[in-house]
Amino acid sequence: MAAQNSHKSFQLLLLLSVFVVATCGLIYELVAGTLASYLLGDSVTQFSIIIGTYLFSMGIGSFFSRFFNTNLIRWFIQIEILVGLVGGFSSTILYLLFEHAAYFKLILYLLVGLTGILVGLELPLLMRILKDRIEFSDLVSKIFTVDYIGALLASIIFPLVLIPYLGIMKTSLFFGLFNVLVAVFICFRFRSDIPGSRFIIIEGIVAIIFLVLGVIFSESLLRMAESMAYSDKIIYSKSSPYQRIIVTKNSEDIRLFLNGNLQFSSKDEYRYHEALVHPGMLNVANPKKILVLGGGDGLAVREVLKYPEIESITLVDLDPSIIELFKSNSLLSDLNKSSLFSKKLTVINQDAFVWVRRQTQLFDFVIIDFPDPSNYSLGKLYSLSFYKELKKIVNRKGCVVIQSTSPYFARKSYWIVNETLLKAGFNTLPYHCYLPSFGEWGFVLASPTALPTTDIIPKIENLNFINRETFQQLVYFPPDMSRVPSKINTLNDQFLVQTFEKEWSHYTQQ
Amino acid sequence: MISRRNFLIKGIGLSSTIALASSYSGCSPKIDRRETLRGPNHTLGHKLRTGTFPKPTQIIKTEVAIVGGGVSGLAAARILKQRGIEFRLIELEDKVGGNSHSDKNSVSSYPLGAHYLPIPGTYDKDLLSFLEEENVITGYENGKPTYNEYYLCFDPKERLYINNHWQEGIIPVNGVDRKSTEDFDKFNELVKKFKALKGSDGKEAFCIPLHFCSDDPSIKKLDTITFEFFIQQHKLSSPHLLWYLNYCCADDFGGTISTISAWAGIHYFCSRKGSASNAQPDAVLTWPEGNGWLVNKLMKYAVKETTTNSMVFQVGYENGKCIVDYFDAIKEESIRLVSEKVILATPQFINQRILSGTLERKIDYAQFSYAPWMVANIKCSNHLEEKRGERLSWDNVIYGSKSLGYVNSNHQNIQLFSDRQVITYYLPLTGADSNAERKQSHQRSFKDWYELAIEDLKLPHPTIEHSIEEVDIWLWGHGMIRPSVNFISKTSFDASAPIGQKIFFVHTDTSGISIFEQAFFVGTQTAKMITV
Repeated sequence: MAAQNSHKSFQLLLLLSVFVVATCGLIYELVAGTLASYLLGDSVTQFSIIIGTYLFSMGIGSFFSRFFNTNLIRWFIQIEILVGLVGGFSSTILYLLFEHAAYFKLILYLLVGLTGILVGLELPLLMRILKDRIEFSDLVSKIFTVDYIGALLASIIFPLVLIPYLGIMKTSLFFGLFNVLVAVFICFRFRSDIPGSRFIIIEGIVAIIFLVLGVIFSESLLRMAESMAYSDKIIYSKSSPYQRIIVTKNSEDIRLFLNGNLQFSSKDEYRYHEALVHPGMLNVANPKKILVLGGGDGLAVREVLKYPEIESITLVDLDPSIIELFKSNSLLSDLNKSSLFSKKLTVINQDAFVWVRRQTQLFDFVIIDFPDPSNYSLGKLYSLSFYKELKKIVNRKGCVVIQSTSPYFARKSYWIVNETLLKAGFNTLPYHCYLPSFGEWGFVLASPTALPTTDIIPKIENLNFINRETFQQLVYFPPDMSRVPSKINTLNDQFLVQTFEKEWSHYTQQ
Repeated sequence: MISRRNFLIKGIGLSSTIALASSYSGCSPKIDRRETLRGPNHTLGHKLRTGTFPKPTQIIKTEVAIVGGGVSGLAAARILKQRGIEFRLIELEDKVGGNSHSDKNSVSSYPLGAHYLPIPGTYDKDLLSFLEEENVITGYENGKPTYNEYYLCFDPKERLYINNHWQEGIIPVNGVDRKSTEDFDKFNELVKKFKALKGSDGKEAFCIPLHFCSDDPSIKKLDTITFEFFIQQHKLSSPHLLWYLNYCCADDFGGTISTISAWAGIHYFCSRKGSASNAQPDAVLTWPEGNGWLVNKLMKYAVKETTTNSMVFQVGYENGKCIVDYFDAIKEESIRLVSEKVILATPQFINQRILSGTLERKIDYAQFSYAPWMVANIKCSNHLEEKRGERLSWDNVIYGSKSLGYVNSNHQNIQLFSDRQVITYYLPLTGADSNAERKQSHQRSFKDWYELAIEDLKLPHPTIEHSIEEVDIWLWGHGMIRPSVNFISKTSFDASAPIGQKIFFVHTDTSGISIFEQAFFVGTQTAKMITV
């Protein structure tokens, strides 16, 4: 009687593990499909190929099951632990490798294949374990019933519960854990029937520890995935209410990233900032009052401070954390020559549009260094209304310079900025320069009355990039960047944002 | 490369929101938030049915008495003021504005009713000149008005939550079958045809104000069938299109395709012929407080002349003069206005009770059906948790919902970041029997309305409840006149007839469509006519 009972519970437990293997197996497959469609796009293709690969691999697994001839139950449990580990960590591995692996798809299909093979091994093994204990027709019916029920459960809870509440990474880790736990439990329960069960249990416990650590650190793993997106060492990272700030450093340069977008590289930022500041500065007869919008890094201010006759600089940047960072970090304050400590400087942490609209004072030269118009919020700072407000605070003989994205990568966008400035009543002088770390970059010099000139006479020495000859070349646009007629950008029709999105998407697709 | 990185960063954002959500799921939402359930003053209003009012103790003489300070009443006041005619305006509520009421909280102004004005056609001269006066139109280019950029609705304008995803625009596109696309194409062809159509009298078939529309019987006969019947006649049956048409009928009429006439339904789609040098023909003007902004501009013409918190209970005609008796709820006394003319900018269900029995009107009051509306202004801390797709837009619609979705009151802000926001959620009660709907509405508690709104908003914003700080619910018992079959061509036309060139009717229920342009036009024209 006792023996029969133990037989019954043995059967039941093995059937339970079929159920778990089936559920977990399908979950891993769905995780891979979902991740692939997130990361690579085209969900129909991804899901279709992944399901195919998975089923085919199960076939391979079934085929190879014939080569397992001894200690079937031991093999069964070990494979289950392995499935838990491989499947459980599959999403983590894919996340971490995505940015780096040259053959990401290959790794993806290898992982799917490996999971498939392991799951494929399990069913035949189990059938063979149970074949002498249960009548054949009963065995087949039971195993397949449980298998299919597991599949149904997985496919229902995955989209409805797991993805919304756990997220993809935790889902696969949790199921890996579940998988291994069941394996360890069975092994423990029938330790007397299984040779070397103690070793398997230890193996299982190590796997469990790894998976639990994975669950606990899944958030930081995601962050690590982020940090691996930057090729250099991260020396500073912070999320301000407005943006995510990252500074990286290697032996040669320091780089600033905002929301993952490169802002400058210390190696060639002098080109950018000289080109941004000096042509405009030299176009104003007697510049005294300077306004810098954006540019909390203090690098444009550094260039302005090269002119001793400047009386005051007003810097408006929304995010105080940037200013703080560029004041407190010695690497960065070396880079901006401690410009943010200048007595001539007033820092205002406000929304530029709101601030400009309220001003009544006039500035001789305004430097605008906003992030690119990549969304509708930022697009407002490139609108006709903004430029009209801007015109009201520029001295009649003063001028304005605007960083206006790349005329090469986003040619139409660049010329929309120029067109919008013209509509606001400015005279403009578009120019561009080459930055090794960015490529071709564009600026527009604009003046309310006079036409800005290329005939500049540098008043200061030690500039490494801008001089009269260089600047005269910068205003020529080769045919692949030359002016294209376009609409303007307004608050009610942000044509620039739509265009910018389209143009950059050509360069950001895989 | 950038897209990979963006994805990873978004992935972090997503998982941390989820973490936040799950850390909340155990506790109930904040209980210290401000909750209000308000509406027009129906206690004073109901007194008309039941109560008796004291006899007037004072008589004030004036040239014109305006009853009702909604847009039509205020538009009339503007003309009288500009022409130097003495007048008084009596308003039941504590402030003027009617359906364009608005309010504000610590974050933003917000509408309690009407919230936008489509740019008018060039033939709506009165409205254009008002918009010029208020610097909404800043100039003209090639004969087309240039609108103030700050008042034109900013980008991004509209999005629709459909198939667990926000798509751009309100017409369903995401996951829509071929049949639906074909039906939308067919419907657009019809819209194009009716937009261009002119009647035998040379007038436009559909335009705003309604007075400029053609009287051609072959067009007017569309008012004798339901919009639903018209749609069936054209073999349009895709559920996506029907949802869209019902959405639009709810938006402008508080009705459904089965309760409004085909003429009114077509008018919604084919009458807007705006023109601007700096905007698309379908552009709209909007402000954080909605049309409350326009009301604030109009009300300056009647500051001294307006008496609020006052219920007019009798309008009559005695010895060649008009009399208007009203009860001042603050002073608790009745006053009689004696005037040459009266402009009634009140709805007919009020007029039915205040017009003295000796004044005959050939109208069927039972035909006037007004849809109740619920408007919830919700102040949220932080940003709403978003599902995938388009970003927060001005108008955010949920496919398949009975509501009209919500409008972002902070949308016209030039500020890039704000840590709080106010959204205005609109729920018209479109049931065919508006009296039953109204009765039921008045029985609902704050909690009932709150749950209705939140259940709907939770679809696209699962964790919205946790960020709500204030909920201001406003219930309109008689929100909008519903242009049912034969209403515009017959019932409302009858109601617009003045009595003896002394008492004039200007409420939009005498036009059949409750829109700002119509109220403004009728108020303005009537005031001009009686002061010639």
